[in-house]
Amino acid sequence: MARTEQQSNDRFQGRWFWRYASPAAFYPVAGRIEKIGWFLAITLAIIGLYIGFFRAPTDAQQGEVYRVIYIHVPAAWMAMIIYLAMAFWSATGLVLGTRLSFMMSHALAPTGAIMAVIALWTGALWGRPTWGTYWVWDARLTSTLILFFLYVGYMALAASFDDKKKGDRASALIALVGAVNVPIIYFSVNWWNTLHQGSSVRPGSSSMASIMLTAMLIMTFAFWAYCVAAAMHRLRTQIIERESGAQWVKELVK
Amino acid sequence: MSLRLAASAVFRREFQLFARRKSDWANPLMFFVIVCSLFPFAVGSETERLRGIGVGVIFVGALLAALLTLPRLFDEDARDGSLDLLLNSNEPLAMLVLARVAALSIGIGAPLILATPLFSLLYALPSDVALVLALAVALAVPTLLLVGAIAAALLVTARGGAILTAVLVLPLTIPTLIFGAGAASKVLYGESPFAELSLQAAYLLFALALSPLAASAALKISTD
Repeated sequence: MARTEQQSNDRFQGRWFWRYASPAAFYPVAGRIEKIGWFLAITLAIIGLYIGFFRAPTDAQQGEVYRVIYIHVPAAWMAMIIYLAMAFWSATGLVLGTRLSFMMSHALAPTGAIMAVIALWTGALWGRPTWGTYWVWDARLTSTLILFFLYVGYMALAASFDDKKKGDRASALIALVGAVNVPIIYFSVNWWNTLHQGSSVRPGSSSMASIMLTAMLIMTFAFWAYCVAAAMHRLRTQIIERESGAQWVKELVK
Repeated sequence: MSLRLAASAVFRREFQLFARRKSDWANPLMFFVIVCSLFPFAVGSETERLRGIGVGVIFVGALLAALLTLPRLFDEDARDGSLDLLLNSNEPLAMLVLARVAALSIGIGAPLILATPLFSLLYALPSDVALVLALAVALAVPTLLLVGAIAAALLVTARGGAILTAVLVLPLTIPTLIFGAGAASKVLYGESPFAELSLQAAYLLFALALSPLAASAALKISTD
């Protein structure tokens, strides 16, 4: 083990960022990123919600209910983006064998699942007054639900191995299998939806007032910052837990 | 030993097992038969209602029956040591996995496919629907087993394998479910099922190309 580490150090010499593939080196950096993330998330959320709730006009067709999009749409986007990020770090981990990459995937998964749940939940709350029902088998709702299943499967698989290394690589493989299948599932669900029912009311079909769009974009960045901060927090916890035998961790927690 | 010899040896071994242990293919069939028989008790036996749910019940029943056979792929071999022989073979593991999945598809799939038209009659579906449904099941069972081989390979040594296999595999069978059941429904409404069947076949070919590679990688991870 020591020899291979020495070798890889030689190979990547001069590339400073490889240094941060080491959990010990990345731990303080993750802490700084987390702090910036929390600051941005809270600041942007206050600005975004203020514009969205107090400055943006009431929607002509949907009334006040539409304002849930300032939470709903960013959450739905993050649910998808985080799955991609998770698959990316899984692939990186499998190719390079860096254990921090696997930890990054594990840290992202719960946040992604929460985002999917928020998107579904707020969608149901919006659908009740607008569509008259909490749930319709709309293509986008169904796809988000399946995405949630994929997150759950990933986390369940990672948890079912006693050997952490084995669990890392096994769940990374299933994340990649899921990432390959996600476009196919999206396509087939869209196909199925057009087969079985007419297109539902689409909130985005009417052109959006620019102030609404501004608020939504600010909220998207707030969610993004939150997800980064939450993932970094979870990553730090994992580093401490997994490297608990290392000297630097013993000194840190002393 | 050449690759062809090795693959055909794996393939033949599976069929010998099927011939000697009939419960391996008879139990999934019985499961399928019972699941399909339960639904009329739950939803009522009016002809119109049965016709409405028939395609879906039969298709999902066949998928679940095939799903339950997944632990058979590697679990037993891991216990009796023959999996190690497979892993230590000089031949590409992906091809051996493919041979095994192919054998299982035929051994498990054929009884399910043959039972499909029978249940189509019990669900008051016309015979042309029954035929397309059997074809759709014939495309769906190998797809499920190919995708499922990845999960089965990962979970050979893990805790709670069977239920977790279902959680991992079932979301990935949605495309083949949509296209397969869609094809049969199209015939029911007097339209051509060709587009759906083509897409279902395309997904099968996609799984055929990638799944053996992923499953062999998974076996190497889990038996490491």
